[in-house]
Amino acid sequence: MPTLKLIPHLLSYAGIVLVLLRAFAGRRLLVAVASLIGFVAGIAAAVLLFRFCPGEPGFGLVRDVVGGGFLLFWGVAVTAVYRSTGHDLPMTWWDDLLARPAAGAAAALAASLVAGAVCACRLSSGDSLITYLLLILAAALLVLGAHALERQLPAAFAVAPAGLMAVVVALLVFSSASIIRLDLFSPLTMKVMKFAHDFVHQFFESMLIPDHLFIRTNLWGYIGLLFGKEIGFWGALVILLVPVFLVLLSINFEPLPQVAHIRQGAQRRRLLAEAIGSRRRRLVIPGLSLVILAAAVYRSLYPSVEYWDPKPVAVTATPAGEIFIPKKGEIDLEDGKLHKYLYKAGGKEARFFIVMTPAGKLSVDLDACAICKPDGYGQAEGTVICYYCKTLIPMETVGKPGGCNPVPVPFTVRNDGVHLDAMTIINTWGSTVQATARVKEAGK
Amino acid sequence: MASATIETTGLTRSYGDICALKPIDLQVPEGEWLSVMGHSGSGKSTLMNLVGGLDRPSGGTLKVGGEDLLALSEDGLARFRREYVGIIFQQHHLVPYLSAVENVMMAQYFHSVPDEAEAKLALERVGLGHRLKNRPGELSGGEQQRVCIARAIINSPKLLLGDEPTGNLDHKSTLMVMDLLKELRAEERFTVVLVTHNEEVASWGDRTIYLDDGVLVRDERLGD
Repeated sequence: MPTLKLIPHLLSYAGIVLVLLRAFAGRRLLVAVASLIGFVAGIAAAVLLFRFCPGEPGFGLVRDVVGGGFLLFWGVAVTAVYRSTGHDLPMTWWDDLLARPAAGAAAALAASLVAGAVCACRLSSGDSLITYLLLILAAALLVLGAHALERQLPAAFAVAPAGLMAVVVALLVFSSASIIRLDLFSPLTMKVMKFAHDFVHQFFESMLIPDHLFIRTNLWGYIGLLFGKEIGFWGALVILLVPVFLVLLSINFEPLPQVAHIRQGAQRRRLLAEAIGSRRRRLVIPGLSLVILAAAVYRSLYPSVEYWDPKPVAVTATPAGEIFIPKKGEIDLEDGKLHKYLYKAGGKEARFFIVMTPAGKLSVDLDACAICKPDGYGQAEGTVICYYCKTLIPMETVGKPGGCNPVPVPFTVRNDGVHLDAMTIINTWGSTVQATARVKEAGK
Repeated sequence: MASATIETTGLTRSYGDICALKPIDLQVPEGEWLSVMGHSGSGKSTLMNLVGGLDRPSGGTLKVGGEDLLALSEDGLARFRREYVGIIFQQHHLVPYLSAVENVMMAQYFHSVPDEAEAKLALERVGLGHRLKNRPGELSGGEQQRVCIARAIINSPKLLLGDEPTGNLDHKSTLMVMDLLKELRAEERFTVVLVTHNEEVASWGDRTIYLDDGVLVRDERLGD
């Protein structure tokens, strides 16, 4: 049902238009028109993009644009907090730019372009032209609705420039978090986790500290916290939310007006109260951004898609130590779905899966990666997901080693099916995955 | 001639079948001290409540400081009271668990932001610089009324209303309070409307009106 799945994106778009209209209240019509043009242009750009770069490259580009906007927001937040502490920055050009009539239209065009592109990513190539036309019609109605609603909002509902950036970026991040291939939080979690993992290993290696000789087990327990997914989650959360807190701080640090020269106490206090009240009201929008970003994190952690997660099928090896899985048995290996298998031998066991990649080649990989606890993988929307760290792996990259990708296993395909060496499977699992599992559970 | 701070035409107030205030036409110029006299139930307090924005009239027009009070919303009326009016009550209505300075600061808080230094200055101005930290229960009636005056003037009102401000005070304290009000009015130039039973207190004003059963029966200027 395309209508329902577009609701979060359309609501985000409506929110963007609403705050833009309030931020550039003197140029409402211009902002409204630019918002609609931007949205339509975003849809058209995404359609063209996926025509020429289908699959991961297209999604990657849209994700990078949203990520770029987030990085820009970091810059704006740091600058805002720096300027609010009384430090001068030679940025009159920026203030002049914001004051120009075209600034509102440009901001509306840029934000709506990205919102439109994200929205179009939700539609599949199978959706008809009518769906796209209905989407544009819905966007036009939302712009009209936002235009009417903005006029009803109290005058006190003020938007500071940094607050505007905060809420627009937060809404775009929320919108993209509703599409698992555009989600920013999961890859961020993975990168933080990998950074912590690599940093600790590099540190220990550079300090020439051997693994067990001088460090007590309980100390390893604390060091082991750096290897868990929690470090990734909290690290990513800090990266995501800190710029909003910086914007809140920057508004809070704004100096109050000079009133010492005013003789009448009531007038002096009224001026101070107005300044304090205005400052408080401008905190509302960045505060709202925090809530929206928290919702984006929730969407990322608990996506609305259902993962394909088949129960592993037990397999045995021939006396020669070969595992054979037919291409077209009870399971069709070439149906594009991920198929899991379990091999047990001599008290040891290993899980692996076989999947047909978009390139039309079969890939055999362990149901675990070299970094995380082996919680396994699921499959959804052209990706596989690591259940431990929630990282999405595009189907195009399955079969390539490194990072959170499933560990590839050597295999041969002959006419009738896939041939694997049982010993290789057990050894690969043992040498990489079991070591990782022990590290995670023992805290080292 | 100064512009009218208070301007009413046909102002009435009824409570069900009871008409507390029959149509009254009244003009009080800016800076005037008006005393309102009459027996109990004559409509004095009703008139004061209407002028202070504490109550809404049943009919007529009412402009205070150029503001049409009938046209104001509840929020607008609250803003009007906060910024335009200072009120002194017979019963003081001080918060018993707050000190004198905190009682004055509370009025600042509802107006804008509290400023302790300014509140202390206001209390010093009414001669209570040595009683800043005392609670109302630790002050005499006259001192409590002076805290009320400090609280009423702290937000620089254009209109000061007094509902029997000396009703509970002895003669000496009454004179002290009235003297203080006169002094403050000379400095701040606010308009005063003071409801009283006391002829002597009424004589401190520039003008006295007499109400009887909700009707304005006499309007006298000092020296008439």
